[in-house]
Amino acid sequence: MSVAVVEVGRRDELPSPGRGLRSGLPYWVGSLRSMLRYDWGEMRPWVAMLIVIQTMMGAGMVIMYGFFYPQITPVRALYIATGAPTLALIPLGLVMVPNAVMMDKLRGTFDYVWSLPVPRSAHAVSTFTLFTVLALPGSALALLVATWRYGIHLSLSPLLIPAVLLCALMSVTVGYALALAIANPLVTNVIVNALIFVVLLFSPIVYPASQLPGWLYDVHQVLPFESMAVVIRAGLTTGLATQVGQSFLVLGAWTAVGCAVTAWVVGRRR
Amino acid sequence: MASGDAAALTVPLGGVERGIGRWGRDYLSMVHWHLASLRIWLLTITVVQVLSGVGFVLGISLFFSHIPVSAALYVTTGVPVINLVIIGLILGPQLVANQRTSGSYEYMRTLPISRSVTAAAWYTVCLVTGLPAMVVSLVVGQLRYGLPLHISPMIVPAVLLTSFAGTMLGYALAHAISRPMVTQLVSQMLVFIIFGFVPILYPMTQMPAWLDDLNWWFPFRHMAVVMRAALTSSSDPAVSTAYSVIGVWTVIAAGLAGWALGRRP
Repeated sequence: MSVAVVEVGRRDELPSPGRGLRSGLPYWVGSLRSMLRYDWGEMRPWVAMLIVIQTMMGAGMVIMYGFFYPQITPVRALYIATGAPTLALIPLGLVMVPNAVMMDKLRGTFDYVWSLPVPRSAHAVSTFTLFTVLALPGSALALLVATWRYGIHLSLSPLLIPAVLLCALMSVTVGYALALAIANPLVTNVIVNALIFVVLLFSPIVYPASQLPGWLYDVHQVLPFESMAVVIRAGLTTGLATQVGQSFLVLGAWTAVGCAVTAWVVGRRR
Repeated sequence: MASGDAAALTVPLGGVERGIGRWGRDYLSMVHWHLASLRIWLLTITVVQVLSGVGFVLGISLFFSHIPVSAALYVTTGVPVINLVIIGLILGPQLVANQRTSGSYEYMRTLPISRSVTAAAWYTVCLVTGLPAMVVSLVVGQLRYGLPLHISPMIVPAVLLTSFAGTMLGYALAHAISRPMVTQLVSQMLVFIIFGFVPILYPMTQMPAWLDDLNWWFPFRHMAVVMRAALTSSSDPAVSTAYSVIGVWTVIAAGLAGWALGRRP
């Protein structure tokens, strides 16, 4: 028994490939909106766990650093407590974001997303935006735990908002670029673990940079970790942080590098 | 027709070998097995352990403008404990979790080798891999800070028992928990706790009293006590208690691991 297909639909309204190429700012913004929904849908089951882990890492490390000192002087307490947001942001940018990228690579998510009719930059920007926003609650909670533990009073300034946003964006873009640019997940893993060790032990986040030997001090002028601590400390205290402008520049440069590497990897054809 | 040949065949149940000679041969082959199958991995772990141990010993001085000798002494005598337990306690379970995922766990269990041999061989490998990092950390600490170290013969039981307790705890963790994900999670939590919330790298007086009391019930704090007593000239009255607590934990963990290994799935 056979049925002849007579009606095939409204043939005249099908877009022809060549004519319907879409571009322009409104199209890009529309794509960004769709990609934000897509990324949020992918992330949503993990969000609660992400914030809990981030808070526990930040708060846990702040409490733990205190145990290493025989006496906790008020200045020391202030340094440790104002390091809390930085300590919460670094695991997010350098561990969780690279892990998420590696998982997406293994599952082939990038190949799928890049085949969608949206600009690839829209996907990168939506991921950066979501992770940057997600980084904020964990950092705030870690800071709350730290102020409660050490009983210190902070003087918040409006500078805190750009400082935290830039720090979050910097760690997310650098972590994303790192995991995206390095093909072998094993190498990424080694780099990430080594970085965490170096950051937690050899970076002046919970202690003043003046305690470092000269050469390490110079290295930290270039690396972003001290700058993160400096700009956040400048937003939480008065007079404790110096060279704030330079630190903003360093963070901006690292963000630019992260974006550039991402753009290069995302934009090239394989 | 071929009755002569049939008589020469070994009857499966009749020829089970027992005794110390068999145990010793099995033990040597299991040690060989581990060293051969993990050779790249063990080498990497040793290097990472040496680097992280030295990193900790040197890095702690950055936390202070002038590091007090007592703080340097605590870190230098605490790092060996971490070096010794981390392979058996943290990496052992992760290795077994990997074996479970890849299916070689079942293969290992079908080998005609007793549980005590398997455990003893794994303990040997953990001990041998942990020792270089311990020695290097101590030497670096001594060179950097000029510490008043005084190594007594008690270092031998302290090292052997600390490593054994760590290995057995990890062994129990690895074999009693059948889900690899849970094992990974527990072992990662343990790393965080051991580094920060157990008085191994700093004196117990620097943490809240309730946390110190809680730690008394766990073996890690006591490992630091026995190690510190063997490495310095101070005589701590808590040493015998510490040995007992570690001993009890070791027996419980070994029993649990033995039960998990002997159980039929």
